Amino acid sequence: MDIKRIARDAVLTAVALTIFIVELQIPAPVPIPGVKLGLANIVTLTALFTLGPWDALAVLLCRVLLGAAFAGNMMALLYSLTGGLLAFLAAAPMRKLLTERQIWVASVFSAMAHNIGQVLAAVLVTATPALFVWLPPLLISGVVTGLFTGLAGQFAVRRLGKYLRHTNGK
Amino acid sequence: MAKTGTWIAVIAVILLLSVAASLLLFSRPAAGHTAEIYVDGALYKRVDLSRITSPERIEVKTERGVNILLAEPGRIRVESADCPDKVCVEAGWLASSAAPIVCLPHRVVIKLTGETALDAEAG
Repeated sequence: MDIKRIARDAVLTAVALTIFIVELQIPAPVPIPGVKLGLANIVTLTALFTLGPWDALAVLLCRVLLGAAFAGNMMALLYSLTGGLLAFLAAAPMRKLLTERQIWVASVFSAMAHNIGQVLAAVLVTATPALFVWLPPLLISGVVTGLFTGLAGQFAVRRLGKYLRHTNGK
Repeated sequence: MAKTGTWIAVIAVILLLSVAASLLLFSRPAAGHTAEIYVDGALYKRVDLSRITSPERIEVKTERGVNILLAEPGRIRVESADCPDKVCVEAGWLASSAAPIVCLPHRVVIKLTGETALDAEAG
């Protein structure tokens, strides 16, 4: 791994972490457990579509681990890790399927995967299948927030893509 | 490469299904007047809300933290909790919808059932 790549991914992690911490200060808009804008996903998405899955995964994992430590909420680490990885797994294979103007689609699916993961984790942890009632409202939230972060990510890819890709050269 | 319209259609279908399912699930009136409190999937306490005459506080102590519930005639809510996210507190009163209140960090679930509690101290 070359130094340029480490430095670039570290900068992206710092950006993602900052967005993540700022978002924590925004109160939840609706009293539904798990509804969140997920703004930090913009960075993961940008990394995925400009640099590829490995850099995106590295930025995601570092952000989730550091985010839990910075927010002082290690208990939530398990949920954010599961959610983050599921979101990543939903978006990563879509990289080859989408044009540069369809990047938001990956974000919508990734947000929905994140919400499905949350409900599954909640059902497993509390052993209460009744919690599946939260799935439909969370999917709605996933589509809306995914669309928002997806469009933001798409604009970032179009504006920053060439600079980020440039650092891939030797 | 699929056309953008195809993607929009797929997402719109999922969205419509979710909206329909949400309306169906959440417009359903509460199933009953007995609140069941679960910790870690096991019944912790059962409260017959129709028998409550004056506001009553119930302390749910788990190894992960404490939730203070407030039961009133016909309804129950989480009044305070020492969990980090307070989603359970913000969920408000459990009386009008089929959705249970969840405190994920403490693994506490409160839901309404139709069964009448014969003894309020079950579990």
